[in-house]
Amino acid sequence: MTQYLYPRTPEEAVAALVEAQGRAIIIAGGTDVLPDMEKGKWRPDRLVDITRIPELGQVEAGGGWVTVGAAVPFAALREHPLIAERVHALADAAASVGARAIQTGATWAGNLVQAMPAADGAVIAVALDAEARILDASGAAWQRVADLYLGPGRSKIDPTGQLLTHIRFPLPSEAWGTAWRRAGRRPSLILPTLNCAATVALREDRIAAATIAMGPVGPCPVRAGDAELFLRGQLPSPEVMAEAAQLALCQAQPRSSALRASREYRMAVLPVLVREALTEAAQRAGCPPQS
Amino acid sequence: MRINFIVNGGSVEIDADPARPLLDVLRVDLSLTGTKQGCDHEGECGACTVLLDGQPVRSCLTPVGKAQGRRVETVEGLAGPDGLHPLQSAFIETGAVQCGYCTPGMLMAAKGLLDRTPAPTHEQVVDALDGNLCRCTGYKKIAEAVDLAARRLRGETAEISRGGEPVGGSELRSDSTPKVTGAAKYVEDMTMPDMLVGRVLRSPHHHARILSLDTQKARGLPGVVAVLTADDVPGALYFEDYSLEEPVLPQVGETVRMVGAPVALVVAETREAAYAALDAIEVGYEPLPHTFDTDEALATGAPRIAGNGNVLTRFELKRGDLTAAFDRADAIVEGEYRLAFLEHSALEREALLGYYDEAGRLTVVGGCHEPFYQQGYIAECLGLPREQVRVIMPPTGGSFGGKQDPWPFLATALMTRHVAAAGHTGTAVMLAYSRQESFAATPKRHPYVVRNRIGATRDGALTAIRVRIDANTGAYDSHGQYIPEYAVTASGGPYRWDAVDAYAQTVYTNGPKAGQYRGFGTAQACFATECALDELCEKLGADPLEFRLRSALREGEASFLGYPVAESLGFAEVLEALRPAYEAMLERSRESRAGHIGRGVGLAAMWYRFGKSGSLRVEAHAELARDGHFIIYCTAADYGQGTNTTMAQMAAEALSIGRERIEVVNADTARAPDSGIQGASRATYFVGGAVTAAARNLAIETLGMAAELLDRAPQTLRFEDERVTAPDGVSIALAEVAAEFDRVGKSRRVRGAFDLSGQFPEATRPTYAPLFVTGAHLAEVEVDLRTGETRVLRMAAAHDVGRAVNRRDAEGQIEGAVLMGVGAALMEEVLPGHTTGFADYYLPTIKSMPQIEVFLVEKAGRYGPMGVKGLGEAAMLPATPAIINAVSRAIGPAGGRRIRTAPATPERILRAVRGEAL
Repeated sequence: MTQYLYPRTPEEAVAALVEAQGRAIIIAGGTDVLPDMEKGKWRPDRLVDITRIPELGQVEAGGGWVTVGAAVPFAALREHPLIAERVHALADAAASVGARAIQTGATWAGNLVQAMPAADGAVIAVALDAEARILDASGAAWQRVADLYLGPGRSKIDPTGQLLTHIRFPLPSEAWGTAWRRAGRRPSLILPTLNCAATVALREDRIAAATIAMGPVGPCPVRAGDAELFLRGQLPSPEVMAEAAQLALCQAQPRSSALRASREYRMAVLPVLVREALTEAAQRAGCPPQS
Repeated sequence: MRINFIVNGGSVEIDADPARPLLDVLRVDLSLTGTKQGCDHEGECGACTVLLDGQPVRSCLTPVGKAQGRRVETVEGLAGPDGLHPLQSAFIETGAVQCGYCTPGMLMAAKGLLDRTPAPTHEQVVDALDGNLCRCTGYKKIAEAVDLAARRLRGETAEISRGGEPVGGSELRSDSTPKVTGAAKYVEDMTMPDMLVGRVLRSPHHHARILSLDTQKARGLPGVVAVLTADDVPGALYFEDYSLEEPVLPQVGETVRMVGAPVALVVAETREAAYAALDAIEVGYEPLPHTFDTDEALATGAPRIAGNGNVLTRFELKRGDLTAAFDRADAIVEGEYRLAFLEHSALEREALLGYYDEAGRLTVVGGCHEPFYQQGYIAECLGLPREQVRVIMPPTGGSFGGKQDPWPFLATALMTRHVAAAGHTGTAVMLAYSRQESFAATPKRHPYVVRNRIGATRDGALTAIRVRIDANTGAYDSHGQYIPEYAVTASGGPYRWDAVDAYAQTVYTNGPKAGQYRGFGTAQACFATECALDELCEKLGADPLEFRLRSALREGEASFLGYPVAESLGFAEVLEALRPAYEAMLERSRESRAGHIGRGVGLAAMWYRFGKSGSLRVEAHAELARDGHFIIYCTAADYGQGTNTTMAQMAAEALSIGRERIEVVNADTARAPDSGIQGASRATYFVGGAVTAAARNLAIETLGMAAELLDRAPQTLRFEDERVTAPDGVSIALAEVAAEFDRVGKSRRVRGAFDLSGQFPEATRPTYAPLFVTGAHLAEVEVDLRTGETRVLRMAAAHDVGRAVNRRDAEGQIEGAVLMGVGAALMEEVLPGHTTGFADYYLPTIKSMPQIEVFLVEKAGRYGPMGVKGLGEAAMLPATPAIINAVSRAIGPAGGRRIRTAPATPERILRAVRGEAL
């Protein structure tokens, strides 16, 4: 029989993991843990449920950062006023995960630990330059989410010994916008054929900084670094956005999948999504719509 | 671990592994079987949605440990002491309940929404229900139900029309209440003492020969009751007419021709023991070359799969001078059309329960289309007289043809018989498929390759059609032998042709076996013809509606089959019914839009031969019960489409009484008569005819008996509530009339027959009765020309139903078929070797629901009861080609090629936009 624990603090959770010496894992919503247990990926003796740790259930803003607790489900994330009004791409990405009755359980943190290259939560996190606070027996440290990936489905975070307690990302004070795009064989309840997130910060009508993250176009979420560099200092014109989208494409290495789409299709569609995301992000940052 | 929580207001304490899914604990430990399971604990279907502290969750993905100290609400808790929850009543009233299997999850998702958001927008309703799959309704009436309930919960008075007549209005279904309360017991919800678990060992190879099969080790495992192979089949080892060359279980030396083909059966005391036994069976396979493709299977040097050169059956029809007719044509279209394997995806997976009933009969309870056929197959396979076998139809969570396959019945019967013969204490065997198993092993829709050539004159008259069809029956037959004739018949459609040359063959491959699927063999052929017609219209610059009207078959005219349609033909009326919607769609599609958006309107029509072969004479019984109510006995299996209600309505009409006085005993071989094969949309027409006749006969008998007791002329008497009344007010209770039947020794049960044998000259029905219905659909779509992503914005569907027995149910059939058409057109595709279940077979969710408008054309039929005709399958045919035609027209102006493949995935559409081959 599995042991099921409700620690009251993150430290208690980690202690419960350490005590079980690899035979315990963290569970938040459980929407991935249960199927993984059924498939035999995990065979834990102990489940450490973090959803009753009060400090992990909060979304907070302060000091130029937004901090999201590991137990905040996607449903709460997409409906949080700060996220819904200021970080559209995150709200939309959260709304892209499964369906409403999955979003009520599934968490952003769990999505990151799962480390799938097309996970909506991962792609938006990488675009937001998010950091994750990892707590283990040796203490806590913030690490860039983008650095947590070892490969498809493989995270540096070990849920049998470590707890991702919070995710945080910088919230620029003004002239900043985000946007989310996704393609799939049906509108929802499906892993994406492609997804992408863009952020744009404007200064005096020019692009001060932009980020673009894409999936699944590599073993982990991919940042379009060349495009981001190109965009810096540019006027957000349609031509510039199109050029940036082409540069983003150069950094994408999508694969063919019989069940989803071919590499060729993904290559054809990716620039469309990137351009749209960039354009919308720029508009949200205050750039007037251009055609 | 002890876990305490609140379920539906009451506290419970259980001792369970906290990692177990809440779903299993609710269903097994707490016997709350209202919450359903439709996928394999994957969160892919939504049927298991419950509320946890007011939030909708997938109970299959929620470990029960999470419920500790919290509040769980399930469908069983919805109704209060004062009656049904407004959501439950609204679901019943709007016709949102068909098979009922998605209903509990839908209700709970909706409650989760309305508890938080009392006045939701349509978008919020869609968001809340998205991901809860429904295969029957097309979601429209479910969304309406949520809206209706929301208004009532806010204190508004909201009524919806019902219509007063027993037939012709929108009567409520007779069996919806247990489906909205969770009380309805589907097979997976049933338990019996000492119930054993049946499982199937299936081949992992696409094509292989069995070299050895050793069950010794498996038989010896603890908890294993029996392991059965071909050697344990006492009667016929082959299906005979249902599936040529398909063994019930393969013998050593035989081939297994698809992944999922059964190899052996296991009966065990627990699921775990059954799995252990499956693992312990040792099978030696010699893998053989395989193909999924008909072109490859027909090529020289192809792997030998079955049949004659891998061909199962052929059918050919030639009429008129083809060369001359093509010579007369001003425009000719030639194309190759391809369709994929489709999976019915009924929300309830295959589940059967076998046991010996109180009369000692081997009994199998399971959803199917024809209990008497299953009884016959079982009797043959087990070498038993039919009378010693009983088949009972339980509440069934959808079929669409998928539950017509006898194999699960044979397997269950074999296991049950073996357990009893071995003297085991187990009394019952449950065989319940996983969703993955259902995908691998149950019949699919036949993929077709159709090569068409059609011609027309400049003024829009069709001249000739030449069609060549390869129907992929997969690894086994499952009635694929009849497919070629169906394909050819559907190809010509309700049109005038000067010449026809049609040839179709069914081809074996190593794909999943293909079998019955809503519209058996016709929808694929209709797809090709209707797409080609639309191409011809484009070529001629003709309007698709006028073009079809110009060549529409009229009453009394001989069709390309050589004889006229026997039933009244409302095809022109169907097309005219769509005209206003068509013009509105065209108008909208011309509105300005962004440059990367293409808009198009598509039309497709069809004819569908309903009634099938089977007997042209069917029977039903009607009885005056001792207490004075009426009982109808018939076999019109109700897997969600509503025949239980339809039969009661028709009997009520025939008796001129209220429907609440009628009980229907349906589809139990021990209690009801055989009313013939159930398929081809024949229930309302054939069985309804027999029910009507039986009810009328009973009325004559009953009123005659009452007349003697009352000393009045029988023709002056009528039924009034529980009495028979004369014009002068004299009356007698029906219970007293019943007692008089018993006193004089006269049966209170009478027979009624519906008999069309001898109605049509033999020449007009070479194989089948010439009963056809027609219909047409319109689709308005929007295509993103850069990504190929497509939204069906609106659909309009017109069908000649003869007479609607139940308007809301008729609409529900059509709306459900429209969404199935959306899936077939844009998303659904079983890829052999890749597709495993709901996670990778993309069914339309409510987000893919277009606005749907339904037009019921009622051109009264000539032969059926009350003017009715068949509908359920017919509605499946035109939706897919209408959508594909709309997509082709949406991308045409941007230089796109015509789409000739379904599903038209975004990728295929983008290739067409770019002028590339699909």
